[in-house]
Amino acid sequence: MPTRTVTVGSASGLHARPAALFVQAAAAVAPVKVTIQVGEKRAVPANSMLSVLSLGAKKGTEVVLAAEGDGADEALDSLADLLARDLDAEEPANG
Amino acid sequence: MADSLLDERAIRLDAVAADRDAAIRLCGETLVAIGAAEPGYIDTMLAREQSVSTFVGEGVAIPHGTLGGKELVNRDALAVLRFPEGVDWDGNPVSVCVAIAAKGDGHVELLSALAEILLDPDQAAALRGATEVDEVLRLLKPVGAEQE
Repeated sequence: MPTRTVTVGSASGLHARPAALFVQAAAAVAPVKVTIQVGEKRAVPANSMLSVLSLGAKKGTEVVLAAEGDGADEALDSLADLLARDLDAEEPANG
Repeated sequence: MADSLLDERAIRLDAVAADRDAAIRLCGETLVAIGAAEPGYIDTMLAREQSVSTFVGEGVAIPHGTLGGKELVNRDALAVLRFPEGVDWDGNPVSVCVAIAAKGDGHVELLSALAEILLDPDQAAALRGATEVDEVLRLLKPVGAEQE
């Protein structure tokens, strides 16, 4: 199964806003199913907000993405790119 | 438990709101009332919600401010508002709001603990149906423990 190891780039970690953007993106690559894993914890569905929040990933935390099916590699590339970016820095000043 | 993360004064089990923004205002007013945040924090909570929904599933939303709103937070705190009649959250039914005021990034652990609770369907249902303050405190105890 293709995987990507990524370091979380968002200043505030993989919580509310960065997590929401990531979950939306993971849902958008359906039917490719993507999982996300931190350390020895079990891999969880990347398209579930609660599952992603439960990881407690901070800036600098290494996560492993895995996907199966047609387009898995492309999906992983785009999701890995998203995770590595600082999504908080891309937040509008008042938003 | 006066200075704990979840103060019983910040738990309301019979809140009523006409819409999402009204619910967020009630959440923010509760955080302000217990001294956890300045009144201006409420506007940053509304701004955050316009940017990205804080609906997380299981009938629960977790309203909180923007990064810029952190300056308006006096101390880390939660408020739990239960809306027995439900609130329409961009098409999703919400019956519990867990509002968050956070200064640093301790809320990542806090959210992780909260998510673990909500991932258990029985505990999520218990929170949605809670009619006693003590029940909410008991259910969310692991969230407070993460902060210690």
